[in-house]
Amino acid sequence: MSAILFRRTWAAQRVRLSFVMLGLVVWGFLLPVVFATFGKEMGALARSGTFANVFDVMSRFTGGDVFSIRGTVALGLVHPIALALVTIQVVGFAAAAVAGERQRGTLEVLLARPLERRVLHLTLLAAMLLFAALTEAAVLGGIVAGALLFGVAGDLQAADIALCWLNGFALFGALGAISLAASVSFDRVGPALGIALGVTLVGYAVEFLGTLWPDAAWLRPFSPFRYFQPTRILAGTFEPADLLVLGAIFAAAVAWAAWVFPRRDLAAPS
Amino acid sequence: MPAAGVGGSAGAAVIAGIMPDRGARVPFRRVDAIATHGLTKHYGPARRFGSRSVGTAPIRALDDLTLAVTAGEVFGFLGPNGAGKSTAIRLLLGFIHPTAGSAEVLGLDVATAGAGLRGRIGYLPGGIALYDGLTGTQLLDYLAAYYARPPVLRGGLVEQLGLSARDLGRPIRDYSRGMRQKIGIVQALQHDPELAILDEPSEGLDPLMQRAFYAILDERKAAGRTVFFSSHVLSEVERVCDRVGIVRSGRLVALERVGELVARRRRRVEVRLGGPAPGLASAIAALPGVSAFEARDDRLAFGLDGDVTQLLRVLEGAALTDLTIEPARLEDAFLELYDEPAP
Repeated sequence: MSAILFRRTWAAQRVRLSFVMLGLVVWGFLLPVVFATFGKEMGALARSGTFANVFDVMSRFTGGDVFSIRGTVALGLVHPIALALVTIQVVGFAAAAVAGERQRGTLEVLLARPLERRVLHLTLLAAMLLFAALTEAAVLGGIVAGALLFGVAGDLQAADIALCWLNGFALFGALGAISLAASVSFDRVGPALGIALGVTLVGYAVEFLGTLWPDAAWLRPFSPFRYFQPTRILAGTFEPADLLVLGAIFAAAVAWAAWVFPRRDLAAPS
Repeated sequence: MPAAGVGGSAGAAVIAGIMPDRGARVPFRRVDAIATHGLTKHYGPARRFGSRSVGTAPIRALDDLTLAVTAGEVFGFLGPNGAGKSTAIRLLLGFIHPTAGSAEVLGLDVATAGAGLRGRIGYLPGGIALYDGLTGTQLLDYLAAYYARPPVLRGGLVEQLGLSARDLGRPIRDYSRGMRQKIGIVQALQHDPELAILDEPSEGLDPLMQRAFYAILDERKAAGRTVFFSSHVLSEVERVCDRVGIVRSGRLVALERVGELVARRRRRVEVRLGGPAPGLASAIAALPGVSAFEARDDRLAFGLDGDVTQLLRVLEGAALTDLTIEPARLEDAFLELYDEPAP
């Protein structure tokens, strides 16, 4: 790994990262506030009424709810707002990391230094993992801070929160590794970003559809989002195999990039 | 490449002449700064399915390039756009992989040397792209940080190229093309590389800065460093290079000292006669090396290859009002090579 490149990457990304993390903290903080303010009452009302089934379906649909603190944590992590913010930072960064330098013409300036392509890839991979770790920590930090401040953290276990973070980190680590593999494979940002966002959005859509529509449930194992299950973690039914699957996706993407990048021709930028 | 090269026998002889008792015993090995052997790069080869070829014919970006650049020389690599200059440079830096052949830089095989080799090279890409958000100083610091060698030449280069502290404190996005090129030159040379590979280095520089750049190249040469650069500006190649290689359609068509190449070029000669000179026109036309001979009224015009001594002998005693022999220029030699049918 190159400490020089890592510092430069950090310096180049820190402003965007700060904004994304701030957004995630605010988002995470708001959910326990909603739960503390009227979530409990609304939950009791919903479960006692005629529409109890509808609320159950909605909870499954959204991957969480604001009627319990556990549901609040799960919702905070799987809601499209949180996923989009983390995607912007992690997937966006990874997809443009190499292809963007190549498109701008700065990659050859960099690779003319005593810097191996594998080292470049591993350094950017490390930066991507750091961004994934920090963004997932930001949303969970916001949720925990809100829960503590409003006195609704009683049911939460630190181990469950840590496992939720690990699960989110593993998901975005895998998506980021796929994005970086796409980035080292193309000369322009467009195709790399297209593949990265395609995998992310199609994966999310497949999981979303599979949850709602039983006939499409067979597709769920093909989505990385299938293995991101904060609800199950908080319910104590987490399957460690989920982490293994995400780890395998990560390893396959890293292996692809490590094979392709040093072997490909970097012709003159057009 | 630890080849004996020219130094193998000639060098030993020179040493033997200076130190007759030691010269024969001292091994004299020259390491070429760059040595390529049949270096070839084709793009888009036809794919084979069984016995059938599918797809378009490959683009021959570089074909069978074999050359050696001696350590300490300034070598010019010439050719128009698309001739294969940048392809050769990218092969030397390991950005692209050869279809065939090999290249050794500073004695190391480019295919296996890796980052350690690039730590000894300075590179200026053609039409350099820089990190626009950084200031000049930040960029130079960042790019220098990768090298084990400190940027010992930065101060001198910055001064020679007229980059002020104020310039270096501005973001690169505000730089003009010439300023970017200056920063590009500084980043390539600031760590005193053993070999500088410069792709169109004077592009965008004004005449004053071009002169400053030539002075920098002279200093590099005096310091024993090797410079390999491609250029379209033939006058600058003639001014600064020891030897040139000329590529055409991916093939090396000339490789020799600038002086020798120029000496062989066809000069344009014009003679104005001051009176009748019977037999002079036919005597000139019969000289070896004379071509495209034209005689009109009192004016004789022709091309002349090589030595002018015989022409001057023929003209001796003739009544002339004017004699013009255009100075030999690399540009003409270059254009002559390009006038010939493609290899």
